[in-house]
Amino acid sequence: MLKIEHLSKRYGDVVAVDDLDFDVTPGVVTGFLGPNGSGKSTTMRVILGLDRPTKGRATIDGRVYSDLRHPLREVGALLEAKAVHPGRSARNHLLAMAASNNIASSRVDEVLEFTGIASVATKKVGTYSLGMNQRLGIAAALLGDPQILLFDEPINGLDPEGIKWIREFFRTLAKEGRTVFVSSHLMSEMALSADRIIVIGRGRFIAQGSVDELTADAVGTVTVRSSDQARLAEIVHARHGSVRDRDDRALTIEGLTSDEVGEAAFAAGITLYELTPQRASLEEVFMGLTSDAVQYASAGTEVPRGK
Amino acid sequence: MASDVTLASASRAEWIKFRSVRSTVLGFVVTAVLTLGISALITSVIRGHWTTMDPLSKLTFDPVSTSLGGTLFAQFAVGVIGALFITSEYSSGSIRTTLAAVPQRLRVIAAKAIVLTVSMLIVAEVLSFVTFLMGQAIFAGVVPTASLATTAVLRSVILAGVYLTLLALLGFALGLILRQSAACITVFTSLLLVVPIIVFLLPQSWQNAFSKYEPSALGRAMMSTAPPSQMFGAGSATVILIIYVAVAGVVGSLLFLRRDA
Repeated sequence: MLKIEHLSKRYGDVVAVDDLDFDVTPGVVTGFLGPNGSGKSTTMRVILGLDRPTKGRATIDGRVYSDLRHPLREVGALLEAKAVHPGRSARNHLLAMAASNNIASSRVDEVLEFTGIASVATKKVGTYSLGMNQRLGIAAALLGDPQILLFDEPINGLDPEGIKWIREFFRTLAKEGRTVFVSSHLMSEMALSADRIIVIGRGRFIAQGSVDELTADAVGTVTVRSSDQARLAEIVHARHGSVRDRDDRALTIEGLTSDEVGEAAFAAGITLYELTPQRASLEEVFMGLTSDAVQYASAGTEVPRGK
Repeated sequence: MASDVTLASASRAEWIKFRSVRSTVLGFVVTAVLTLGISALITSVIRGHWTTMDPLSKLTFDPVSTSLGGTLFAQFAVGVIGALFITSEYSSGSIRTTLAAVPQRLRVIAAKAIVLTVSMLIVAEVLSFVTFLMGQAIFAGVVPTASLATTAVLRSVILAGVYLTLLALLGFALGLILRQSAACITVFTSLLLVVPIIVFLLPQSWQNAFSKYEPSALGRAMMSTAPPSQMFGAGSATVILIIYVAVAGVVGSLLFLRRDA
């Protein structure tokens, strides 16, 4: 069990992590979701003892990282930033890691085979593509066959096939009873690969739960096509709903359930051609939750023109 | 069940890392080429001009330190080897892998220091003996030569290797403090080249007081069979250089313990 206990980390005046407190339980894939710069990587680095927390701590089965007897056999990590000397071969990189934690060198070949980079293992890491680097990072994380695995933005640089593979790989690891903690700034990815999601923004805890739980409380919408769109819109307003979007064909209604819209239309004698309840996507929930907490917001999508 | 992450296992890992990058191999090749090449050049030139040299120069001629002259050029190469051993970990980000594998930071420093000292000492001692013997062979017949059978001569040759090893460790300690290759190499070169120039610009009495403390002056004293009176003796010079390395090492270690990786 990985526990983040009232963890805060500041770099000078910048508060990177602000009183985070949550558990990451074994047996499920836990997603760690937040915009860029929200403190995900900092949290990962504190777990690994690379950065010293300003307050609080992160523990692995009750112990801080530096107290682990063989850290690589208990916690495996794929860090977002490169953590390999470009002039060294993948094999030598892994052999050095194995030697430090008394792991048999045969295990190095095993993880190289498993991640599919055995054929390029003697090449310099500097010549690797982004995807190959990710595979090497995964090989390094698995080297000590640890019960706890951390993946910081693992799908960066993977091709669609690699992404599909890694999702199944996370599931397999979790099914084996391991703790799998995966960070991402992509909510769509988390919706697909994580069983449980912890959402943070600007270093602060925002929400946690399954995808269903996170989206359940969010306001859904109802899409309607009818014989009299204008009158239907009026009725919706009268019943304290709102029309969020309208085009020639359909209304998107907020604040009323599909049942309520259907009954209101029936009472007014309007024929419905379509009545579709739309659940809020995790993406919408995420945007709603973190809109105040985005560190680098862009000013719209229109390209500024010179004057 | 195997034992914990010990100093021995950390050192094994550091040895794999040390030998598996080109900069180390290249550093040793440059060290060898500079030591042997420049010593060969110096000794050959002296042999060629020996008959026309003035009597005073002949009287103060030291065949030992002259034949080891190349090490004073190789000192820059070994400093770079030592510095890169740690600064390359920062520039590549591999320091994160290193510390995730061995979270006890002092153990990481100790392991690196052991690997650097042992490998550097072996290479530098072999080089200084080969250089010495090569120099005497070039001198033979024309210029007076020295023999390893003389205690002071043997001491000078051994200390030449020790000097290079200590400078590699100094480069490593500076690397711990500065973390950047370029900054580190600049400071290292300044200590060896620029500080003597500054001291040279000082009044004569200050020069006499300070110049013997310069690392390169300590090196010359270590390699000399009979150091001149304004310099330290070989033993004292060795101890002072060790103190420099130790102080830089302690400062570097304290910073390494405190900083985020």
